[in-house]
Amino acid sequence: MINRNLAKILANRYIILASLLLIAALGLLLLPAYQKNERVTAEDLLAKVVNPERYVTSDDLAHKIITKDPSILLIDLRDEKEYAEYSLTGALNIPFDAILNADYEAYLNQGQYDIVLFSNDDFKADQAWLILTRMDYENLHVLQGGIKGWYNTILNPPEPTENMAKEAFELYDFRKAAAMYFGVGIKQHNQVEQQDMTPKKVVIPIVKKKKRKPEGGC
Amino acid sequence: MGPLIPNGILTNEWNIIIAVLIGLAFGFILEASGFSSSRKLAGVFYGYDFAVLKVFFTAAVVSVIGLYYMDYLGWVDISMLYVHPTYLWAAIIGGAIMGVGFVAGGFCPGTSLCAVAIGKLDAWVYVFGIMVGVFIFSEAYGVFEGLYNGSFLGNITLVDSFDIPANYIIFGVTLIALVAFFVSDIVRKRIKKVFY
Repeated sequence: MINRNLAKILANRYIILASLLLIAALGLLLLPAYQKNERVTAEDLLAKVVNPERYVTSDDLAHKIITKDPSILLIDLRDEKEYAEYSLTGALNIPFDAILNADYEAYLNQGQYDIVLFSNDDFKADQAWLILTRMDYENLHVLQGGIKGWYNTILNPPEPTENMAKEAFELYDFRKAAAMYFGVGIKQHNQVEQQDMTPKKVVIPIVKKKKRKPEGGC
Repeated sequence: MGPLIPNGILTNEWNIIIAVLIGLAFGFILEASGFSSSRKLAGVFYGYDFAVLKVFFTAAVVSVIGLYYMDYLGWVDISMLYVHPTYLWAAIIGGAIMGVGFVAGGFCPGTSLCAVAIGKLDAWVYVFGIMVGVFIFSEAYGVFEGLYNGSFLGNITLVDSFDIPANYIIFGVTLIALVAFFVSDIVRKRIKKVFY
């Protein structure tokens, strides 16, 4: 038996299909627009965020600064006042609020240098790292611990205790030496020298030779 | 996610396998829709059969709408798809030559191979003609070189040439397609039926 209703509908099948096509095209027109980030996909960004390779330890950085490694570019993200008070040797001041400023783009968006971002601690630098990575900039690193970490490890390293491994002492020696390079401890050193320099009355006792006792006998 | 091969979801070796499978399916559909008959194909020029127009226009519109929905859902990145480069005058002249060949021979290159596969003699002649054309073009390449490589516009689409968002162009093309379908239906009803 022929289903009459179905036959009636199917008689208009081309009209139905054509209107489906029209609705689909219209739907495309009415879809709310959204901005796609075409540079970095969510998967890539997440993989980079999870990866701790971006961190540079303060010891590595100190070594690089001391050996005058030409490939690093230090970026101080703190404000100008803090930068003026103290910063790392050769650091460039780009305040956090200005990192997307067009004036600084040439420094940040390049493939020549290894950029090391730092702030007072990790957080600001990490945020800046995320923003710049999202811009698809290359060679970005973060100084682990920031300036505080720098102070606690390089400038004022904790003294190793007796029961620690040999490496801890070597590291301590390196940090002490690095601190000296960065100008910490030199003052103290001078004071010690100055104390030494003060002319003291040195009494050089003249030891009179004692008369030798006759040894043995003939 | 997509396209699958550039994004490394499928390895490069799959390229040829998928191409063969799609080619088989395409040939099968062509043959199943009767496109290996030159009378059916020529019908679009004489007005008694518009299947070619409808099939190819529908295929284009459906795939472009589908692709843009998939792009919207993040399944396919439209910007990563291959866009054929445009050599304007080469395309115009080549298109005209192919159109004349289409009317005269009753096949387009794809359907001619399809008809060869089912053993049509006219298709054999047609494919031989294609080979002769290819031979002439290759031997006289120096003459055609300026036209072949000239007026290069890059990998552009209508979106680039008209600077209108893709959605509007798709809607416009869909409208054109539907109008063409209705008009062709009217024309077909007025033309005397041809038995083929």
